[in-house]
Amino acid sequence: MVLRAGYFLKRALRNMRQSPVLSLASVATIAVALALLAFFAIAVLNVQQLTASWGETLAIVAYLDDVPDDKIVKGWVDDIESYPEVAKVTFVSRNAAFERFRKRLGDDADLIEGLGPEVLPASLEISFADDWRNEAAIASVVERLRKDHRFNDLQYGQGWLEKLEAFLLLLRVSGSALGGFLIFAALVIVANTIKLTLYVRQDELEAMAMVGGTSLFIKLPYLVEGALQGLLGGVTALGLSFLVFQVVLQKSLGSLLLITGIDTIHFLPPVWQGMLVVGGSLIGLLGSLFALRKFVRFGSS
Amino acid sequence: MIQLFNVCKAYQRDQNALSDVTLKIEKGEFVYLTGPSGAGKSTLLKLLYCAERPTRGQILVNGRNITRYGAARIPYLRRNLGIIFQDFKLLIRRTVFENVAFPLEVQGRKRFEISKKVYQTLKNVGLEHRLNYYPLQLSGGEQQRVAVARALVVDPLILLADEPTGNLDPEVTLDIMELFKSANARGTTIIMATHNRNLIQQFPRRIVSLAAGSIALDDWPQFRSPAGLTGRP
Ligand SMILES: Nc1ncnc2c1ncn2[C@@H]1O[C@H](COP(=O)(O)OP(=O)(O)OP(=O)(O)O)[C@@H](O)[C@H]1O
Ligand SMILES: [Mg+2]
Repeated sequence: MVLRAGYFLKRALRNMRQSPVLSLASVATIAVALALLAFFAIAVLNVQQLTASWGETLAIVAYLDDVPDDKIVKGWVDDIESYPEVAKVTFVSRNAAFERFRKRLGDDADLIEGLGPEVLPASLEISFADDWRNEAAIASVVERLRKDHRFNDLQYGQGWLEKLEAFLLLLRVSGSALGGFLIFAALVIVANTIKLTLYVRQDELEAMAMVGGTSLFIKLPYLVEGALQGLLGGVTALGLSFLVFQVVLQKSLGSLLLITGIDTIHFLPPVWQGMLVVGGSLIGLLGSLFALRKFVRFGSS
Repeated sequence: MIQLFNVCKAYQRDQNALSDVTLKIEKGEFVYLTGPSGAGKSTLLKLLYCAERPTRGQILVNGRNITRYGAARIPYLRRNLGIIFQDFKLLIRRTVFENVAFPLEVQGRKRFEISKKVYQTLKNVGLEHRLNYYPLQLSGGEQQRVAVARALVVDPLILLADEPTGNLDPEVTLDIMELFKSANARGTTIIMATHNRNLIQQFPRRIVSLAAGSIALDDWPQFRSPAGLTGRP
């Protein structure tokens, strides 16, 4: 059979025009399911980004009670930098710490009027290499710092990273489960909606088969119809989630979230956007494939 | 062209719609299929276009054994057939023109070729002024003529017609019969199920008469035509 894309597309569009309500129902179902999925993906993505950015600033700060002379400090720095987990060690003198503090206060700098650098301790800031930003590495470095250098005033992420990672895992698992369920539900609903349109056109399907239409020839317009509805659903979901992202997350929640250190909320990256649309088409296609399974028959036996 | 060997068809257990039918129809023949209602005429035709499968026996069409044809081969068999269904089976959401064009579309014919052929065929059945009507906007007789046009448009090897003149007035019936005769003259084998005794008298041809699923009679009409000649040529 000669495949004439235009011909099948025309027939698919015509079918959709003839039952606009059912077509709309399919599109809406796919759109809602995928939009919910998109929201979940946005949440996972942003929490993930957050852990990554917190991980980047992950460091241990060792406060020094007394400030030894430069040579000793230099020795400590070199020694600690030789740990495999450690990327960089920075000595922050009392003056530097005070200066940083003043800067951070900004307009409120007059609060520390009359105070001198001696109010703040000097410190060593120990940052971690890329592959070692985890709880275990931190613990092991902390232990060595305690033992080797008798640093006791240590400040580091106390378990929050693990909690965040656990939360992320939870989000991912529940997102996948919910997503799987939503996609399945969309599939079933779309299949049933298309089945309804097939019931209406049963006589037509039969007549096509009786004048020599092959199974593919008869089915193809419906498959195209399903894919088109899925495509529309995917695009709608994308638009919907972008709208919600713009209006709710960025405008309203944005300033609120800023306090927790989230300065930018990210939308789905282009690849995911593409996957949403392609996924919609696939749901539509599979839905109509399911629906068609029992419908096109060539005889009653 | 068509051969049936000991064909049985039972829709339900122990209830043969056809029992032990053996029949041979040569290429180019014109055969009436008659018999009382429920005798199995439609069933016989359905077996020939594979809408039903025989319970027993073998069926050969155009040299091929179609008894066990599956979904992959049935469409190609049907493309050689023109079928007029007792209930027409028109596409009610398509215009008259599209209905008649459909068998050609299915075969992947060129658009201009389709238009020309469809128009010509509709003109032959006298419906060229109804091109853009939908089937439900037509009278029963007009619908029937659309069904006839759809069957003839493909220049079928075999025409299977189930009561093709059932709803037609005598005049249109004669027109349709002329179309069948000219198709027959061009080589189309025709099997026509009918109750119409007048028609058989006017156009005497071989009669296969079914009764309760069996062939009761297979012969040429034995009666005297107005000219005093027997039906047999
Ligand atoms: N799909 C079916 N399921 C069960 N029984 C059927 C079916 N189709 C036909 N029959 C039975 O088979 C027998 C033959 O039916 P068929 O339609 O072949 O008769 P027919 O000769 O065409 O009659 P008519 O002149 O009324 O069209 C009848 O007894 C009918 O009840
Ligand atoms: Mg019948």
